[in-house]
Amino acid sequence: MKALQIVSYGEIKDSLVFNELSKPAVQSNDVLIEVKAAAINPIDKSIILGNLQGMLPIPLPSTSAYDVSGIVLEKGDGVSNFEIGDLVYSRVPQEQMGTLAEYVAVDSAAVSKKPGNISFEEAASIPLAGLTAFQSLEAAGIKKDDRVLIHAGSGGVGSLAIQYAKAQGAFVYTTTSTTNLAWVKALGADRVIDYKTEDYMSIAKDVDIVFDTLGQNYSLESFEVVKQGGIVISVVGPLDEASAKMLGMSDYKLPEALAKASSDRKADYKFILMHPNGAHLNEIKSLIEDEKIKPIIDKVYPFSESVEAFTHLATGRAKGKIVVKVS
Amino acid sequence: MLIDPSNSHCQFIIGDSEPFFIRLYSLTVLLKSPHQELEDLIKKIKTRLILSPEAEEFLYSISKEKTLRKGEVLIRQGQVVKNTFFVSAGCLRSYCTDKNGKENTLLFAIKDWWISDYIAIHTDELATLTVECLTESKVIEFNAKELDGIHSLFPEFEPYQRHNLERHVVSLHRRILNQLQLSAADRYDLFLKQYPEIEQNTRNFHIASYLGITQQSLSRIRAEKVRK
Repeated sequence: MKALQIVSYGEIKDSLVFNELSKPAVQSNDVLIEVKAAAINPIDKSIILGNLQGMLPIPLPSTSAYDVSGIVLEKGDGVSNFEIGDLVYSRVPQEQMGTLAEYVAVDSAAVSKKPGNISFEEAASIPLAGLTAFQSLEAAGIKKDDRVLIHAGSGGVGSLAIQYAKAQGAFVYTTTSTTNLAWVKALGADRVIDYKTEDYMSIAKDVDIVFDTLGQNYSLESFEVVKQGGIVISVVGPLDEASAKMLGMSDYKLPEALAKASSDRKADYKFILMHPNGAHLNEIKSLIEDEKIKPIIDKVYPFSESVEAFTHLATGRAKGKIVVKVS
Repeated sequence: MLIDPSNSHCQFIIGDSEPFFIRLYSLTVLLKSPHQELEDLIKKIKTRLILSPEAEEFLYSISKEKTLRKGEVLIRQGQVVKNTFFVSAGCLRSYCTDKNGKENTLLFAIKDWWISDYIAIHTDELATLTVECLTESKVIEFNAKELDGIHSLFPEFEPYQRHNLERHVVSLHRRILNQLQLSAADRYDLFLKQYPEIEQNTRNFHIASYLGITQQSLSRIRAEKVRK
């Protein structure tokens, strides 16, 4: 089978090569998916550039990308929840990374039937960003009438988080730049803040939840807008101690400034490590089928132009997800 | 082919007559478990024709009653189709997935309707359709080939099957013409009139994909109806 592989760390153009590989072997709990579409995410770019070598040691060469939609072609003996021919989507587990290929074997626990009302390309755009948004807001205990600030509403995670928060009945503030105001508003956000012309901290005050998708100074600033007893959820800021422990860093301490801000404000800080989960994807499937969540796609590339897809991702200018149509 | 005579929206196609081999079914009859749903169906059939005890036993021998969970799939696109289903309770739908992965609903089936993939059954091709339960459902599963060949064993079925086929053709022609001639809003009105029970059991996207419109259009049509 044809697969786009990372052969070295460094510049995108020098690091990615199409290789001919054998079909992956199916373990007892795996399904073999004939890949129809794969989506690429910022993490895929970071892996190629070699920025995550410490956290995610990946043997080279490795096939790139985690998001996939396709058709179940084979299944292991232990798989009872899928049948051959099922249309599915998944964020594949780390050890099965490699969706930019004609076939991928995936642990069935990370797989869900795909939403029936959207295309393969749209379905592939959902898993990683959708699970991140879903698991973060669930960890924050989001409920009806909560006031939530979601940073970067036009991003892959932010745009899905807005829709998920609205589906839960929350009041949503979000930040974006002037050019994205209209379409971010159309996602359902109640108050879209133009960070170029407005001060978000004077508009979103005393919110129940801050969803930090930006990191850097935004993680710390979150404690100035969250209410006492509220919670700051981050997917890019400093690790919290629980996540650090899961990554094997048992003596890790939360940065002092952040720990102080959290304790002064009496508001929790949680870092979310997105984990693949078929059951969560199945819940997202229902929300998509009921049109509570719509996929947002920037551009679909043919498989042969996968490298261009990464170059486009690297510009950071995409509005929505970048998808590769594999077959 | 069998159908509830009281049902005006029959869902049946009869295939070309095929060689039919008589099988030994007495053992199956002896072993039969309570078949409440099938008994009810047979009662309905008996209002249309005189059914011999042998024919009745034959029906027992080729059928099986099943209770199904919501979401359960009876026929899967791309696989071999052997059975046809009479719905005793619940709501099912048949749909075809296009090359982009989007679902197009062909039919819904509720109590007293039949559902299967008749293209697959009558052309010996793999399934074009998927048949799934939208609610918890009860069905009687029949071996499609044997049910099809029933008239060669019991000729009294023949005019009955022909009648049902004719009605099915009428219903399909209406569906095609409605699709060609009526506006989306009129098609939705007609759907509500014809199948109010189905609307209660289905989700927006099932109905939109049956009417051949987007979910946004369906929402718009509904909103306009409320305003009227």
